[in-house]
Amino acid sequence: MKIIILFIISILISSDQIPAPEQSQPILLKNGILHTISNGTVQGPDILFNNGKIIAIGHGIEITKDTQIMDISGKHIYPGLISAGSSLGLQEVNAVRATRDYAETGSINSNVRANVSYNPDSELIPVTRSNGILLAHVIPKSGRIPGISSVMMLDGWTWEDCTLKHPIAMNMNWPSMELNLNSWNKKSHKDQIEERDMALDEINNLFNSARAYNKLDQTSPEFKSNPRLEALSQVISGKLLLIIKANTVKQIESAVYWSVKQNIKIAILGGRDSWRATELLKEKNIPVIYESVLSVPARRFEDYDQPYKTPKLLFDAGVRFCITNSTSPFQTPHLRDLPYHASMATAFGLDAEEAIKSITLSTAEILGIDINVGSLETGKDATLFISNGDILDIRSNVEQAFINGKEIDMSDRHKMLYKKYTEKYIQKGILLNE
Amino acid sequence: MPKILTNIILLFQISLFQFLFSNIKPITNLQEHQPDVFALIHAKVQLNPVDIIEDATIIIRGSRIEAVGNDIQIPRDAFEIDLTDKTVYPGFIDSWFEYAQPDSLQNHNSHWNSKVHPEFNSGNSPEISKKQLNEFYLNGITAVHIVPNKGIFRGESAVRLLNSNQQNIENSPTQVLAFETFGWGADEYPGSLLGTIALLRQTFYDVLWYKRAKTAYKSNPQQNEPIRRNLSLESIQSHLDNNGKFIFRTGDEIATLRAFNIAEEFGLNFWIKSNGYEYRRLNEFKKKNSFFVLPLHFQPKPKVSNPQDALSYSTTKLKHWIMAPKNPAILDSAKIPFSFTVDGIKKKSDFRKNLINIVQKHGLLKQTALKALTIHPAKKLGLENQLGQISEGFLANLIITSGDYFDKKSKVESVWVAGEEHKLAIDNSTHFNGAWTFIGFEKTGELIFSKKGGSLYLDEISIPLKNINYSRHQISFTASLDTINLNGVSQFIGNIEKNKLIGSVLLSNGNTAKWNAIRNDFEINDRKPIKLNDFSMPILYPEGAYGLEKLHQQPKIVLVKNATIWTSGEKGILENTDLLVRNGLIHNIAPNITPPENAIVINARGKHISPGLIDCHSHSATSAINEGTQSVTSEVRIRDVLDSDDIAIYRELAGGLTIANILHGSANAIGGQNAVIKLRWGQSPESLLYKNAPQGIKFALGENVKQSNWGDEYTTRYPQTRMGVEQVIRNAFDRAIEYQKQWQIYNQKIIQKAQIDKIPPRRDLELDALVEILKGIRKIHCHSYRQDEILMLSRIADDYGFTIGTFQHVLEGYKVADRIAEHGAGASTFSDWWAYKFEVIDAIPYNGALMHDVGITVSFNSDSDELARRMNLESAKAVKYGGISEEEALKFVTINPAIQLGIDEWVGSLEIGKEADFVIWSGHPLSTMSKCEQTWIDGTQYFSIDEDLKLRERDKKYRSEIIQYILSDSKPTTEYLKPDTEHSHKEHGCLEGVGK
Repeated sequence: MKIIILFIISILISSDQIPAPEQSQPILLKNGILHTISNGTVQGPDILFNNGKIIAIGHGIEITKDTQIMDISGKHIYPGLISAGSSLGLQEVNAVRATRDYAETGSINSNVRANVSYNPDSELIPVTRSNGILLAHVIPKSGRIPGISSVMMLDGWTWEDCTLKHPIAMNMNWPSMELNLNSWNKKSHKDQIEERDMALDEINNLFNSARAYNKLDQTSPEFKSNPRLEALSQVISGKLLLIIKANTVKQIESAVYWSVKQNIKIAILGGRDSWRATELLKEKNIPVIYESVLSVPARRFEDYDQPYKTPKLLFDAGVRFCITNSTSPFQTPHLRDLPYHASMATAFGLDAEEAIKSITLSTAEILGIDINVGSLETGKDATLFISNGDILDIRSNVEQAFINGKEIDMSDRHKMLYKKYTEKYIQKGILLNE
Repeated sequence: MPKILTNIILLFQISLFQFLFSNIKPITNLQEHQPDVFALIHAKVQLNPVDIIEDATIIIRGSRIEAVGNDIQIPRDAFEIDLTDKTVYPGFIDSWFEYAQPDSLQNHNSHWNSKVHPEFNSGNSPEISKKQLNEFYLNGITAVHIVPNKGIFRGESAVRLLNSNQQNIENSPTQVLAFETFGWGADEYPGSLLGTIALLRQTFYDVLWYKRAKTAYKSNPQQNEPIRRNLSLESIQSHLDNNGKFIFRTGDEIATLRAFNIAEEFGLNFWIKSNGYEYRRLNEFKKKNSFFVLPLHFQPKPKVSNPQDALSYSTTKLKHWIMAPKNPAILDSAKIPFSFTVDGIKKKSDFRKNLINIVQKHGLLKQTALKALTIHPAKKLGLENQLGQISEGFLANLIITSGDYFDKKSKVESVWVAGEEHKLAIDNSTHFNGAWTFIGFEKTGELIFSKKGGSLYLDEISIPLKNINYSRHQISFTASLDTINLNGVSQFIGNIEKNKLIGSVLLSNGNTAKWNAIRNDFEINDRKPIKLNDFSMPILYPEGAYGLEKLHQQPKIVLVKNATIWTSGEKGILENTDLLVRNGLIHNIAPNITPPENAIVINARGKHISPGLIDCHSHSATSAINEGTQSVTSEVRIRDVLDSDDIAIYRELAGGLTIANILHGSANAIGGQNAVIKLRWGQSPESLLYKNAPQGIKFALGENVKQSNWGDEYTTRYPQTRMGVEQVIRNAFDRAIEYQKQWQIYNQKIIQKAQIDKIPPRRDLELDALVEILKGIRKIHCHSYRQDEILMLSRIADDYGFTIGTFQHVLEGYKVADRIAEHGAGASTFSDWWAYKFEVIDAIPYNGALMHDVGITVSFNSDSDELARRMNLESAKAVKYGGISEEEALKFVTINPAIQLGIDEWVGSLEIGKEADFVIWSGHPLSTMSKCEQTWIDGTQYFSIDEDLKLRERDKKYRSEIIQYILSDSKPTTEYLKPDTEHSHKEHGCLEGVGK
């Protein structure tokens, strides 16, 4: 019997990462450099969390006997970084069709929900959280209305365990406002303009239909349901944010004026040209989820550093914004590079505190989860991590993460393979066992 | 000239004419010989582009001009035509008229490739339709250079007279070539420009071989297998033997440079059918002593009135719209000869309109325009004694106009082609349009007819004219003359008599009255003349944003002081140290160097200096990436398709990159030859090449090669498995060895001066490259992911006795690092990419560090125009993942890739004697907070943030000026210029799905 148990344990050791149990005792982190986000960066105050919540920040916090104390002198504590848009959990190997679940067929999918397809055992998840990204806004893609997005915690046994909040937003791809002039596009200019106008009309019709649907008496025996329109009702009533993907200045302006006319609360995702529309965005108080600082300028004649400095321009103009990776599925495995998008913005003008805020608290505020996460504040979730240096610097590494106070398994596929093949060269005498 | 001699010459020419045009068909009805001697008298004659004579006579006999001049006796048998007030020009020549070739041109003696059909002769091309003839006549065109429209070697052209016989007067003046491809995704070769150029080169080599092979066979038929006849090679060969010309159809100025490279390699007599971009690289073209056929087809106006729409146009594209009509005058100022073509113009009458426009507004001299339409093409086509001038003995090809051809009010009234007159339909309204003094109803007024209608001014009141109808001599119209107390509608008729209209009017009461009108001298303009802003802007290299007005010059001495220098060499990191550069080389690295006289001194206190960064895997600066149609394409070369105008070059310089290994894609097992370039922004494609770099070639393994992610229809090209990939590569090397042996035997005989009775081996560009690999002088850079395939290729290399240069990507390299190290290959990998396709599911960011620890020379590469802008930060990931020291990590993007590319003797580290490629960073080069401030190549500054700010200001100003200029052109338009997509036109690179 004993032998069998040992055997099982040895499997466990070489196994996949195991979701952490609920926080069982209070934890006190001492002597760290605290990046509170909401109240600056301070050296020294302790932070205490219990039952998944931060319960105190300060010097000389009173603790109970069962408190686990971790001295983290010289190390940094940050709230969990938030990826503001990806298909994490909805894809595994993007080139393999069977592993893609982020794009439902058809144009209007207002009824589909991201979190129900989130695969908590995706190998991409532990790799992502290894660099401090502990929360991910998971969005469906494709079509005019891809569906409803969710914010997921990057640890848990099931998608239900992992869901921090659902619904977060209805998602929409704004029609292309520019003519497509690639030689392979056989459509004439006139047809394209008609198509664009038709797309805009369709959006209006959809929302008008949803309004009409909303007024129907659902108890009437005549009533017939329509899940697509049903799903839009929360957007129309202003309860659910509408995130509109729009990159060019024409798309952004068109989307904003449309939302004002429709009286709908929106955020802009992408926002490549948002720096060209700052006055409008500020005036209408529309936030921007700025995608991919690490990209090339959109136009040949733009400044070489345009994507790098756009966050600074938004900040200076008083536009609310957060920063995220490219939402292209190709980039989903690389969400761990999120802090380097923020740090490039810093090298090109954005204040470092603002940069870290743009991947934590600003994101939480825009997505409506700042009551739980985004900063180190009493009462918020103990979703945070310890790093051995400035997280905006590539050379730093995350040592330990907590999600809702749960101590996360920091292993991942990459570390395991690294260990495995290091072992190969130790066996062969090429590397020494340190 | 004594008259008797003239007559002898004439006699000879007439007999020539009879030879050309004699009719072998029997007469079946009555003979209908029309008079064929004409005297055109009292004409103003433009004899040639320079000389004009007034009140001259032209005698035409048969198809030719018998005499021209002022004191010509009119032969008794001549039919006289009075051309008072008319101008006569020599008939124009269209230098490029494409006709539709038949779809299938292959037969059993053709070239294997369906785009190679040089034997096709345009002499038999179909008749030009009546409608087309008329369009040519309206522009004054009387002869055309007809060219085939399909393929790479398209066939031979011909010159055709536009008379009723459509007589060809010159067969095969040129062989027509074009950069045509089957396009990406095609299964027929070539699918890209890479393959097209390789095919052009191989075909010329085949011609050379074919000739020798035939000779060898003829002298020794018993010793040899008969050679299969190849009409294509024969036709090129005979064209070359006759010193025939080649005309190359190109898209832009870079394509033209590519054509010149081919011309130079084979010593061809070469012209260019261009697309009007010559002004951009004029200096390159001046040297080439070529001839250009220019389009007069200009693109519609850009839509810039809405500033947001204007964003979709690059400055380059906007400026070209302005520059295109100026291009001919610019070429002329550089003394480059050219001719024109109607080709590309949709509405053919725009040809003359556009020509007049560039003469009137864009500085082209009339004389040059005439040369381009007459004597230049005539001379180039070998017809300088027959076409292009009005001169004795020349073909009677003439244009009769009502005035100056370059005045848009003049009409082309008729053209003569080889002695045949073709009268053109006349718009009757032109006889009447204008202002007339009206006399009638006992009043004097003004009568005006224009395209828009007409009006009668009487008593200073304008009366509109309705129902205006014109015939050759008569005009009729109606008007309501209530203002002079004549009720109802009055019906007018006027007959023209020289400058007078003699008219009558039927009034509403049935009475008739008389009126007449005398033509006024002044003209009526329908439209206000368009006044354009002045436009003067320097040419930039390359055109558009961040282009240079003057190429960067290398300063003699540069001293950078007080920096922290990351040498990537034995000296490690040196603080507070100076770097002295002389003539582009590192002269000294030491503290406190005294500035030499005339040195440029840069104070870099607090800053860091690193070697110029090197990207070992890039697809920037190239117009084509993959020749994916065959599994082995080692004959294709990236150097043939470099694009020096790619903005990625400038953007990468701004990130500290100085050298990039431009690789073929990974669509096939054995891809094309690489090009190592220095990012010398502003220079021509050839000047980007880094001459010290050994040759290389791209290989690829795995999913892309076996088309796993290309889509469901790609399941038949060999190979479809990794097993097959191995076999393709082994087979290619076996073929190369066999080929090498043939050459060894042949060369041995040459050396021994032994008799050669066998057909010599054929030079094969594909196998040449593979032989170079076997000889160890061409490095393989192999796209690879999985450990099995890495191991496999390393075993092939061992078996065939060469060492692989680098494994590229090599994301499972960490699994077989011991084997890679043992073999001696380098590893050039991504810092942290994974999971984008199945074969990279085991990729780990520790790959670089682990391979390094096992003893491999490791570099990080970009494979991306974006990542290539921040390679220093990529190297920091070697510190993060695997704990490589900072000094060693930076080597992943400096000396290590230099070693891998075989250029570490000259670049990659900052050491005395090496080339001064370096970067000045605002701080620690591995810190995300640092910025690249200056980038130097060969001791020459190619980027600085200060200079960049100036360029931004300049470009903002230029762009506004360009847009203002376009807005000042008030000419209405219904069609707009297509915006450029901004994203480069490149094919796929290496990463996702399709064979990148």
